[in-house]
Amino acid sequence: MQAETSLSDLLAQVVAGDRDALRAIYVRQSTRLFGVAMAILRDRTAAADVLQEAFLRIWQRAGQFDAQRGDASAWLAAIVRYAALDAARARGREVLSDNPTLGDGVLEAEAFNTLARNDETKRLHGCLDHLPPPHRAGILLAFVHGLSHPEVAARLDQPLGTVKSWIRRGLLSLRECLS
Amino acid sequence: MSLYRGGSALPTDPESRIILAGEYVLGTLDAATARAVQDAMIGDAALTALVQEFERRLAPLVAMSAPEAPPVELWSRIEAAISPKPRVAPARPARLRLWQGWAVGASLAAVAFAGLALLPPRGVPMMTGVMLADANQLAWQAAIDRQGALHLAALASPEGAPPDTAPRGHDLQLWAQPPGAKAPVSLGVLPRGQAVVNISALPVTPQPGMVIMISLEPPGGAPGNLPTGKVMFIGRLTQAGPPT
Repeated sequence: MQAETSLSDLLAQVVAGDRDALRAIYVRQSTRLFGVAMAILRDRTAAADVLQEAFLRIWQRAGQFDAQRGDASAWLAAIVRYAALDAARARGREVLSDNPTLGDGVLEAEAFNTLARNDETKRLHGCLDHLPPPHRAGILLAFVHGLSHPEVAARLDQPLGTVKSWIRRGLLSLRECLS
Repeated sequence: MSLYRGGSALPTDPESRIILAGEYVLGTLDAATARAVQDAMIGDAALTALVQEFERRLAPLVAMSAPEAPPVELWSRIEAAISPKPRVAPARPARLRLWQGWAVGASLAAVAFAGLALLPPRGVPMMTGVMLADANQLAWQAAIDRQGALHLAALASPEGAPPDTAPRGHDLQLWAQPPGAKAPVSLGVLPRGQAVVNISALPVTPQPGMVIMISLEPPGGAPGNLPTGKVMFIGRLTQAGPPT
């Protein structure tokens, strides 16, 4: 079987206006990327709109991808995440989710430990593992599910100020641990 | 307490800047602060570097989102959106109308796209702007890419709906007026119901300060070469990246 063209090479073809390359990226990545948008928006219609918007950005801005600075799948996921966060903000995140189990997945040890199995994520796992569990929970709920401070506070049943301070301290210690 | 209140400066002490960059990537900033960070990154390489660092460090966490297949028709929607064909308004002779009276409602900061941490390559004069409707509500985002093509994207309203499409019996027409020009030039009638419009060959050379607007017109566009109806959305392009 012929080796797959790398995502970076496909992005380079997109810069040249190659629609088939964009389609190849879509075929290969859309399930993963739709999952990223769904984790934040929890609504298939909204997530589909976001994925469409993200692919337009990819089409228009593939030239901004710099393979020296990061890998292509992370670049794609970042575009989808930011678009989903924008949509979540526009929708009004102060409306708290009525799903009490929201975020259970990311807070389960099993899901968290999958990060330990991959060389690229092992270090991040180790540093997150050093955080006090509630600090880690706040960061995971915010990153993966796009929860705002008030939503994280409601989910963890903690005062807003406490949660904000956990997240800030968590970010500072993560950065220190990872650098 | 929020790190940032609209109108005030972003924090300057090193620790708060680290937290600000981290929270931007995490997604916990409110819309106004997130936009302020995007704007600040344009001229603040150190802040951009902090944001990129957090992006790189936290990127593996997307693996925790469960993969899910998108709706089957989504690819055809994307494909249609990257190849719109805006109709060009018929250019018929018309009497001159005063144009100078149009007020540009707001001074528009360069509105960075989400993910501006992914800055355009050096030396590329990109331009962006937003078109506002009444009450300074964001309605359309505009960008000029390095090929000089104009990209318009409808922004969702706070209610989640795209900006008003043309009322029945009308069309929306897009115009550009370069700085110093006495009248706008038609860029064509917007295709109905399209949230994204790309126009690759503009009849004017895009430049910072150029006003772009959308007016309400009879079906098929203004009968002359000037807008005749109400201006629904208006905005101004600004330089998006540092010129080098």
